[in-house]
Amino acid sequence: MLTQDEAKKLTDKIIGFSTYPDCHVTVNDTEQAYTRFANNGITTASFSKRHSVAIAVTRDGQTGTYSVNNLDDSTLRNAVKKAEELAAIAPPNPERLPALGAQQYPKVNDYDEFTATARSPEMIPHVKTVVDAAVRQKLVAAGLVERSHHVSAIANKAGLFGYHNAADSQLTTTIRMADGSSSGWAGQPSTKLKGIDSAKLAAVAIEKCKRWKNPVKLEPGNYTVVLEPTATGDLVRLMAPAFGARATEEGRTFLSKRGGGNLLGEKVFPEFITLRSDPFDDRQPSSPWTGDLLPTKAIQWIDRGTVAHLAYDRYWASKTGKEPTPEGGGGGGGRGGGGFGGGASSLILEGSDQTLEQLIAGVERGLLVTHFWYIRFVNQQTLQHTGLTRDGLFLIENGKITQPVMNFRFLESPVRLLQNTKVVGQAVRVRGLEAGMMIAPSLVAVDFPLPSISDAI
Amino acid sequence: MLTRRHFLAGSAALAANLFGAPKESSTPSPDLEKLGAAALREAKKYKATYCDIRIVRLRDQRLNLRVSPERGTGKTLAVPGVTEEASFGFGVRVIVDGAWGFASSPIVTQEEIALITKEAAIVAKANAAIQPKPIQLAPVKAYRDRWVTPFDKDPFEVPLAEKLDLLRRVTDQVKRDPKVFSGAASLNLRSEDKYFASTEGSSIQQYILQIYGNIDATAVDRQKNISRTRSYVPTQASAGWEYVPEMNLEENARQIRDEVVEHLSAPAVRPGRKDLILMPNHLMLTIHESVAHPTELDRALGYEANYAGTSYITMDKIGKRIASEQCTFVGERTSPRGLGTCGYDDDGVKTTEFTIIDKGIFRNYQTTREQAHLVGDKASHGCCQADSWATVPFQRMPNVSLRPGPADTTLDSLISGIDDGVLIDGRGSYSIDQQRYNFQFGGDAFWEIKGGKKRGMISRVSYQARTPDFWQSCDGTAGPAYWRQYGTTGDAKGEPTQINSISHGCSPTRFRQTNVILTD
Repeated sequence: MLTQDEAKKLTDKIIGFSTYPDCHVTVNDTEQAYTRFANNGITTASFSKRHSVAIAVTRDGQTGTYSVNNLDDSTLRNAVKKAEELAAIAPPNPERLPALGAQQYPKVNDYDEFTATARSPEMIPHVKTVVDAAVRQKLVAAGLVERSHHVSAIANKAGLFGYHNAADSQLTTTIRMADGSSSGWAGQPSTKLKGIDSAKLAAVAIEKCKRWKNPVKLEPGNYTVVLEPTATGDLVRLMAPAFGARATEEGRTFLSKRGGGNLLGEKVFPEFITLRSDPFDDRQPSSPWTGDLLPTKAIQWIDRGTVAHLAYDRYWASKTGKEPTPEGGGGGGGRGGGGFGGGASSLILEGSDQTLEQLIAGVERGLLVTHFWYIRFVNQQTLQHTGLTRDGLFLIENGKITQPVMNFRFLESPVRLLQNTKVVGQAVRVRGLEAGMMIAPSLVAVDFPLPSISDAI
Repeated sequence: MLTRRHFLAGSAALAANLFGAPKESSTPSPDLEKLGAAALREAKKYKATYCDIRIVRLRDQRLNLRVSPERGTGKTLAVPGVTEEASFGFGVRVIVDGAWGFASSPIVTQEEIALITKEAAIVAKANAAIQPKPIQLAPVKAYRDRWVTPFDKDPFEVPLAEKLDLLRRVTDQVKRDPKVFSGAASLNLRSEDKYFASTEGSSIQQYILQIYGNIDATAVDRQKNISRTRSYVPTQASAGWEYVPEMNLEENARQIRDEVVEHLSAPAVRPGRKDLILMPNHLMLTIHESVAHPTELDRALGYEANYAGTSYITMDKIGKRIASEQCTFVGERTSPRGLGTCGYDDDGVKTTEFTIIDKGIFRNYQTTREQAHLVGDKASHGCCQADSWATVPFQRMPNVSLRPGPADTTLDSLISGIDDGVLIDGRGSYSIDQQRYNFQFGGDAFWEIKGGKKRGMISRVSYQARTPDFWQSCDGTAGPAYWRQYGTTGDAKGEPTQINSISHGCSPTRFRQTNVILTD
């Protein structure tokens, strides 16, 4: 993997090839190892290395970008030439701002050597723990254990340079009855592979699978729901794009007001709802630079129920006389006015001290949701989404789990979900099936629309 | 492990030379064959019972233009994006001790191929410790061949200025009505040079070309605090530049400009049971989600249980009715311009066409060599694919299409048989459960059908159904003159997720008494 010195030399060399006044280079170097299992055996496993260099050059507002994954001098020189040829033909970008000069990026503690270098010998024991536990109960395990090591570096002709070295890992498992009559899921993302508790995950998924057998059919309708942290994360992360100042001013987000203006400073959610991004949180560190290449900072988006920040990229800030938002998490430039880009990767919905069991104990009648699946927008502006419960849905009566329940489709906006939330529990790092990561609590919300039943197990 | 020297040793020039033979050539480049042989030779040292190598060069060109009003002046600003990307590398798959192993690298040299083949063998040996049954591959013929997407004009050779000018003309059309707030147009070109060699004796070189386009128009009503977007996604195709005029981008830009404005003030649908006419550029994704995915054998057998899910079409459904008589679906990777079309899959199997559902009766799953024996087949249906040199090949859907109805069934005749219904065009929101039973699909534009006639636009429409009930309710599909093939470039499956591009063909089709719901 590229060291900081190697990355600096590489980016300096590429910038040196450019004849244009502006040259920006992004280097990504990734090593990944994973083992995938199903039907109580390993199905695929891989070790792969990838690297890429994206070169963006600009003159008179005309920008061309060329990316390659070969790093020899002749390829890189040719890539710069190609980028310049593209720029020469591209129309000027009227929204482009001058390149940033040197920046002081904060240190983000995002690297664990064991995780970054783990291979099959370090990962297969996790698989064996899960599969053995399933086999002992005559159940069928599927899942994934993976780790990644990612180096990213940015540099430009104006003296900017940044280097970030990150490792991450996760284990997820779905345990099913051999006849397909029940299914349970558990998952854990962790910046440290050693922190993954595969025995506990297997136990949770097995318990859900055994408990969910023969689910009863309840009538569709609005229910009080207890969302486990992964289910909360599945929905709340969808709010990130709506905080874009530009899209809001242009009347395209839930924060836009009828007739003009926005909801900044207004209390839209209950007092205990605080949504923020923090790239320095040890549970979920992320990139030290934003999509605009500014140094990241922690940001409060919703502060005790009040809309506290909108996300201004450099262009929109320049048009509105505001400061650009040093959104937590970085990455994801070129947003065209939508949301806080990579900030979503360090998103945190504040929790409380209450355990999931305490939340369940406080519910007279409701449904406990393990997680959601196939979540898709229905209305971009209200953030209404649809999707389905999966791998464990249970009826709660008088504070106790009483019965397994057939899956439902939901049709709801995370905005209304948070407005209808009555209490939040302990927050943990979660990673949904559709790859959304955040730190999210369990929560209890009322009037959650579940308009149709799914036969899926 | 890879060394620093190796890291810097690759060469795009090498890729150009390796894949640079004229497309008329009928055999693979000798240099590619030498590199391929290095992996096969090395695999024998580790007692691999099977080995294949894919050497792949990917190239993408992405052009886009967004037009929106400048803050304060209202003047239309055009924001361009001009990007190219090239990627080159190889992946090696082996079976050792009855288990799969895979490794890949971006450094395409004989030495690196030997190292990575060893890595793949190490992975396989480790996997063998938890391998319930040895991998069993269906027989395959050995091929030495070259296959190229049929094309007249390589789109990468077309001057950039000509492409950007097309996008400018298109976005000009979109913004011509001041009621349109913003618009965007894009054109993406993709090519894949792929060399495959296996210990079965095959040596295959392919060149696959794809072209995608898109136009969006957005309208905003600040008083009502609503916004609507209308899109035109032309048939995404495996083709050369000669196909681009057939996209009719300018003409369709005018149409979506008018329709997004009408959509903004269109009345909301009255929900309830209604008949539907689904147009091909909408129905293609309904087919994708509710027919193509559930007939993937790996899903039916539980191999995707932890992510994409399993399937309601279980093995006992073979030979049973799962759709109405009007529904015959074929899987193929051979149709002209299909995004899934190629000469050979990533198992080295020559692509073919097979029936999935015959007049409503389920006949065949999609399979790979590894899976064929699990359903008693002697050969694979050629559905093995990886999305890059760095990813593991596995079962991916081919082009899956609905056969057209009788020649005398027209769109008008389908509409005339509806008293209360909705015609749905274009792609909207698509959500379906992990066994493909319960779905809710939206569209891009909706028209009311009353008394056998298509009326004005309506809004806030989705339909929700149970898959087998929905396809049983199909009572007519228009004839061959109406049949169109549309593609999707974002089909996600597997862990880590891989992205596939495929096409689905169909004619406008009628479904009876579907649950239409009112959305935000």
